[in-house]
Amino acid sequence: MALKRALDVFLATASGAILALVAGAVIWQVVTRYILGIPSTSTSEIARLLFMWLALLSGAYAFGQKRHLAIDFLPQTLTGRSRTAAEATILAIVAIFAGLVMVRGGSDLVLRTLMSGQITPTLGLPMGWIYAAIPVAGGAILFYCLWFARGLARGEDDGILPSSDSNTTG
Amino acid sequence: MGQASLLLFGSFALLMALGVPIAFAIGAAAALTFLLFMNFDQSMFIVAQQMASGLDSFTLLAIPFFILAGNIMNSGGMARRLVDFAQILASPLPGSLAHVNVIANMLFGSISGSAVAAAAAVGGVMAPIQKREGYDPAFAATVNITSCPTGLLIPPSNTFIVYSLITGGTSVGALFLAGYLPGILMGLGIMLVAGIVARRKNYAPAPRPTWTDARTATLNAILPLGLIVVIMGGIIGGVFTAAEASGIAVLYTLFVTLVWYREIGIRDLPKILVESAVTTSIVLMLIGASIAMSRVMAFGQIPQAIAEVMLGISDNPTVILLVITMVLLFVGTFMDMTPALLIFTPIFLPVVKQIGVDPVHFGVIMTFNLCIGICTPPVGSALFVGCSVGGVPITRVLRPILPFFAVMISTGLIVTFMPWLSLALPRYFLGY
Amino acid sequence: ETVLRLSHNNPADHPTHISMEFMGKRLSDLTGGELSIQVFPNAELGNQRESMELVQNCALEMARSNASELEAFEPAYSAMNLPYIFKSEEHFNKVVSGEVGQKILNASADNGFLGVAFLTEGARSFYGNKPIHSPDDLKGVKVRVQPSPSAIRMVELLGGSPTPIDWGELYSALQQGVVDAAENNPTALTNARHGEVAKFFSLDEHTMIPSVVVISKCTWDGMTPDQQAAMRQAASEAQEFHRQNWNKTADAAIKQAETEMEVNVNTVEKAPFISAVQPMYAEVAAKSPLVAELISEIQAIAQ
Ligand code: NA
Ligand code: NA
Repeated sequence: MALKRALDVFLATASGAILALVAGAVIWQVVTRYILGIPSTSTSEIARLLFMWLALLSGAYAFGQKRHLAIDFLPQTLTGRSRTAAEATILAIVAIFAGLVMVRGGSDLVLRTLMSGQITPTLGLPMGWIYAAIPVAGGAILFYCLWFARGLARGEDDGILPSSDSNTTG
Repeated sequence: MGQASLLLFGSFALLMALGVPIAFAIGAAAALTFLLFMNFDQSMFIVAQQMASGLDSFTLLAIPFFILAGNIMNSGGMARRLVDFAQILASPLPGSLAHVNVIANMLFGSISGSAVAAAAAVGGVMAPIQKREGYDPAFAATVNITSCPTGLLIPPSNTFIVYSLITGGTSVGALFLAGYLPGILMGLGIMLVAGIVARRKNYAPAPRPTWTDARTATLNAILPLGLIVVIMGGIIGGVFTAAEASGIAVLYTLFVTLVWYREIGIRDLPKILVESAVTTSIVLMLIGASIAMSRVMAFGQIPQAIAEVMLGISDNPTVILLVITMVLLFVGTFMDMTPALLIFTPIFLPVVKQIGVDPVHFGVIMTFNLCIGICTPPVGSALFVGCSVGGVPITRVLRPILPFFAVMISTGLIVTFMPWLSLALPRYFLGY
Repeated sequence: ETVLRLSHNNPADHPTHISMEFMGKRLSDLTGGELSIQVFPNAELGNQRESMELVQNCALEMARSNASELEAFEPAYSAMNLPYIFKSEEHFNKVVSGEVGQKILNASADNGFLGVAFLTEGARSFYGNKPIHSPDDLKGVKVRVQPSPSAIRMVELLGGSPTPIDWGELYSALQQGVVDAAENNPTALTNARHGEVAKFFSLDEHTMIPSVVVISKCTWDGMTPDQQAAMRQAASEAQEFHRQNWNKTADAAIKQAETEMEVNVNTVEKAPFISAVQPMYAEVAAKSPLVAELISEIQAIAQ
């Protein structure tokens, strides 16, 4: 429990902080250009780069909170063992995607981009570090999949499908 | 390419039916289909790349910021005051809050130029209030979802700028003017259906307000309405761009709620920030994945294949326009708007030019039909945002949304077959 | 029988698209149909940066980017992006079709790609809500620049305020006055319709930043020496074909902007602009010995 809790707190804090930073960057961009008359040349790139981290880290957090949207017509008709089987299949598919595409493909992207020396156009930061958001988020999603699967096996968790028709998104 | 479409759409349908979260279903189907065009490592690489890089656009920043501003307005009492005021305006109409939602989307979407941002901002404010007044949340979300694309037709609109670029320089000014009447017509159509549904459901018009109530509500609404003035004034006055306006909206709502009303404190901010980040990420992961899907379709030349088959059907101008409408509606169901516009405009424009359709009019036809697609399942950014901010599962809006689609499609046909609706304003004002 | 996929972000009726189609046709002729090029326009396969990453990783065979965006992938290109490094169109043509051009195209071999052709995009100039005659006219003027250190530094040295704005937002930004000016070649007035909202085009012709067609190192290494020679031949023919077409396009754009959009075009005395940007030469040369060497070689060709 402590492990998932820690990851939740980390991702939530990071997501909130990054969103605040991105908002600050864009507001600062307007202030420097219109009020100070010396347009900032870096805020636009900072905002865009942080934005990718925001989408992926909070996307992982949203998965851990079972908040992603799904079409659940069919699974809603299932009960008992077949429902557990459907839940397990969904978790397996998400885990495979997170593992192969996000962690493996993402790490590949990070390493190759770092090796080729590509930099961001204005600030000259290594592009590989920007892409690191993908494997990081993938790793978190993979962890949540394993966590939910363990709960499912022990009968402590009901998987990631919304348990009733009431609310998927809070 | 038959193989690619089969693999892509087949696996996607299967994964979705199983209940896999849509972002992952799209991403996995795309990754699987890429295997037809490149090796395993490269397929994983390209989908991972698109999940981040597909989001590398300054204009997408409007999404988190308007969601954030909407949440701040809700928590800080701005939304409540705004809706009290809106109720006074719309009180004689059945389902008055739904009409308020439509009008707000037309205003907001027209300035921000982003349908999704409008759905997030307006829906975020309106959903809780409609719930309080006893409206079915699915109905509320439906109205919000289907009315937000009006802003893509009513200028300014980034979509028209993109269209102008692809067509090698159709006048942006003419396109902007051409979008007014079709956009307003779409909004009126939605209001008509919303009114009918509201009457059936007995959402009574709000009681006629007393003079004192009206005055209080109006005075209370000055600061919330100031947001529209600040944003619109700032964009028109050249202080900031439409994307930056979303950041300014955050600043303004923070000032009003934190400093003026003092209904929230600094300590409430982390929760609002995290909640906004989550809503944002649900939409952005979907956008990233659907960009990956558009890329694999382009690799497989799938859009060209669809167009070729469809355009082979007839050479009667009316039939050609009907077929194009059908293709655009079909494509809109699973493809995001910008990639669809980029891919299909060059395929269709030469064809319609031959049958005498004006490029400005065709820009309106493309935008109108494709923007219906952002409201449709399985892939629809407005649908996703609207359901997220409205707190409704997608499956619940699928039935109530049908009559709205019917009116959108009919309006689209009217716009397609009555060119003067699009061309009257550019002709009158620009001598186009 | 091998089809090389080439990704770029212009529409299909753009001169660069037509030149790359021409290149594909010549390649097919020269290799007896062994190799051909399928050109994907409108960034269908990805934007310029994404396409470059795919090319570097063998997932895509070819792409067209430009010397400015390529700075992020290979510093050698920054030598070409210096303002007024090219004294004239003839000077530019001599450089890109000669040894120095080849040296730049080959500089990225270790980074997973090779350049094969420079497609000229003509000279870039300032345009906006007032005519620019001297650097003094740029004082305090907000100029939209591409996100690149050289573009930012150039506008700074000329006295303007460099302002990054997304390309998609630029039309509205010019219209509403978020920025006062932008810089590009004359086709921006017509293709992007900026002539509708910017009524003064000042021919200061500060930079000549060409498009660059690149090929993946994996694809290149997989080709036979004959095929490589055919590719070089087709590329060089396409470069020449493009050069001839470009001037017609640019002249037509200027004419259309003047007559249909009522844009005022003025010529500019370049000497004060040239002296204002001189500090950049040492700054960019300090990047690496190769860049310094390329700068002096390009300058030597002008003599
Ligand atoms: Na608009
Ligand atoms: Na859709």
